[in-house]
Amino acid sequence: MIKLENISFDHCIKCTVCTMYCPVAQATHLFPGPKQSGPDAERLRIKNPELVDSSLKYCTNCKRCEIACPSNVKIAEIIQKAKWNYVKIHWFRPRDFFMSRTDLVGSITTIVSTITNFVVNLKITRAFMHIFLKIPFTRQFPPYAKGTFKKLYEKKISKTQRPFEKRVAFFHGCYINYNNHSLGQDLIRVMNAMGYGVDIVKEKCCGVPLIANGYIEKAKKNAKFNIAHLSKTETPIVSTSSSCSYALLHEYKEFLEMDNSGYISRLDYITKFIYDEFSRGNIPKMKPLGIRAAYHSPCHLERMGGVMYTLGVLKKIPGLELVILNSECCGIAGTYGFKNENYEISQAIGSALFKLIDNANPEFVITDCETCTMQIEMNTKYKVLHPVTLIAMALKE
Amino acid sequence: MIYDCVIIGGGLAGLTCGIKCAKEGLHTVIISGGMNSLHFSSGSIDLAGYTEKGAIVKKPFEYIKDLIKSNKEHPYTKIGLSSIKKSIDFFIDELASDNIPLNNNGEYNHFRVTPLGAVKPTYLSQESVYSSKGKEIIKSKGKIAILNFKGFRDYYAEQTAANIKNHPIFQDIEITVGSISLPYYHKTEKNLHEFRSIDISRIFETEKYLPRIAEEIKRAAGDAVAISLPAFIGIKNYKSIRQKLEAMTGKFIYEIPTLPPSILGLRIDHALKDRFFSYGGEYIAGEKIVSGKINKNEVESISTLNEGRLSEIKSKYYVLATGSFFSGGLQSRLEGISETIFDLATNGTNPRNKWYSKNFFDKKSHPFLNFGVVTDKNLNAKTKEGKAIKNLLCAGAIIGGYNPIKEGCGGGVAIASAYKCAELIAKDLKK
Repeated sequence: MIKLENISFDHCIKCTVCTMYCPVAQATHLFPGPKQSGPDAERLRIKNPELVDSSLKYCTNCKRCEIACPSNVKIAEIIQKAKWNYVKIHWFRPRDFFMSRTDLVGSITTIVSTITNFVVNLKITRAFMHIFLKIPFTRQFPPYAKGTFKKLYEKKISKTQRPFEKRVAFFHGCYINYNNHSLGQDLIRVMNAMGYGVDIVKEKCCGVPLIANGYIEKAKKNAKFNIAHLSKTETPIVSTSSSCSYALLHEYKEFLEMDNSGYISRLDYITKFIYDEFSRGNIPKMKPLGIRAAYHSPCHLERMGGVMYTLGVLKKIPGLELVILNSECCGIAGTYGFKNENYEISQAIGSALFKLIDNANPEFVITDCETCTMQIEMNTKYKVLHPVTLIAMALKE
Repeated sequence: MIYDCVIIGGGLAGLTCGIKCAKEGLHTVIISGGMNSLHFSSGSIDLAGYTEKGAIVKKPFEYIKDLIKSNKEHPYTKIGLSSIKKSIDFFIDELASDNIPLNNNGEYNHFRVTPLGAVKPTYLSQESVYSSKGKEIIKSKGKIAILNFKGFRDYYAEQTAANIKNHPIFQDIEITVGSISLPYYHKTEKNLHEFRSIDISRIFETEKYLPRIAEEIKRAAGDAVAISLPAFIGIKNYKSIRQKLEAMTGKFIYEIPTLPPSILGLRIDHALKDRFFSYGGEYIAGEKIVSGKINKNEVESISTLNEGRLSEIKSKYYVLATGSFFSGGLQSRLEGISETIFDLATNGTNPRNKWYSKNFFDKKSHPFLNFGVVTDKNLNAKTKEGKAIKNLLCAGAIIGGYNPIKEGCGGGVAIASAYKCAELIAKDLKK
């Protein structure tokens, strides 16, 4: 039976604009494009699930098709659902399993981070990973931090947060927890400068890599955990990851079909929160930076309508010369670009963006997303900074 | 944070207005819900194609001059002849600086050919559609070969040929039809049947296969002096690709738009966006403005809707460039025609059974194509109470009181009204 609420594919007028803007279809003809894989094929799949096409695996779920669609068809969502609802994989896939268990891998590796970072970058390890785990030899991995951000917060930061009356809860996500503590510390400095004390609540991986790798049940478990803990808070909630924010705001409800109404009105991607505070006049004192930087807008931030707020906030930083890059996908799409079979496509998608960055000749690149950061740092000579880090850099001591 | 100008809608009108505003140094943002209808357009700009009685307009500016005297409600009348002329020059200059030169026939209209082979008057075209060289070939009655790629399904050379032969200018010209095959493309595993115009234009854009395509063209065209190809000979580099193909084949190359997506329109879209960015404009894609607050004949704020939550955006000026029914600016309901964001006054008031003609191709056209927002003489939108809203201007197809299809003036009204809005806003804010 077709659920009546799931017939957005029927609004497709077959204009093919989505296929024009699909980064994967641009990079390879192996993917027939979102229109054919999404709304067109959905009719067939509803009739007979055996008509599921193996080319669905090329979709990165970047959502650019949905941004382009003039008729509001949830194209990427249709493809994601088809990918996992019709195809059930029962065998154990070691690479996809570990790649999507960011919490499991992160909590082990951060204990022995120095060794992990050393071993992962050995040629022999990479060759082993390339052959047995099908992880591309040349793909750079983000280094793991020593210990978790959560521990750091509990030990050193939490007591400094007590004096603040206004509070904000911070969903730090796996990247800050296991890889990049300094972004978390930047966030705390910025929030403090704006008069907010930062709390962290119990959280698990938002589920984006789990969904991308087909572990839907596990993603639902994590979502249930996060929903329960976030709903208990009473303060505004912020996240510095565009993809975590998108999952918490959108995917939980629309894709995992769970009730996230307990916190949804209080949760924002960080630049929206800061934008609103700036608009109310709560702008911390900043010194001129004297930096020229290029801004890359991540696909998921565009999809959730957040680019405007990031730009609004960046434009308030004194002495920041901003080059806004034409909107292009970086190609990594979370764990997609970490797989042998996708590596070539992923690099081909990103090539246009890398050229734009080189032409802009900035000192830094700015972007909101952690995997975009990894991809750009690996493929260009520039260091990539989060908007929050730039504000932290501009703050007066 | 308050913008100088927020433009709702990122199509031909929205982008033109955005470019002018940003060039004037205003903090400008364009908010666009989905890609615009340039992707379905001819890529030519129609200024004034047909008279009230359906005759072809030869000199559009002269025609508009007369129209301004007789039709007080037409957007051209509100814009005025000098702004219309300035806007067209501005548009040509901006696109030329992004390597998309647009040609015109002096003060005269010229003809463009539609995907199905209808021949229509227009004012501005890319050089693959109108150029003095093409004009000469038609005059000297040179043989034309209309070619398609074998297996490409979004264009029918035979139909185009059959239809254009009915038109007087092609009557004594020998026209042949042929097909060429796309050279083997190394990553292709699919049948050419599955290719859309965009896929093939990307193959052209690599320039790798041009010599082989040129050989194919020569073979299929025989002794024809002019070749027409479906319009996909490149996107950004189309100008140099066309020159190279002409040099390799020794023939004149003409482009006819395919069924959507239209590459001719895409080139204009990309060039306009490039210009807008180059002046520091912000383009927000995939965001829908759902409502606006009006207080004392002024817009206070507009709102987006994300995950059931409204977010307010504030600006000194707002430009409504949301297009007509197809783009979602207007909506038809059982009870009437409505404007979708502010619920402004529209001229779609007559009873439902008078909205359309029963004959689809009626010479008098359909009344609903005239529908749009009611504006005052400065293109300020009016509320249902008949009050003009000071900081809300209208540009493009959302404006009521003209029929873009029947009059052949959609592109011209979009560009001219957008330019006029930007002029008015810049003048006021720079005071």
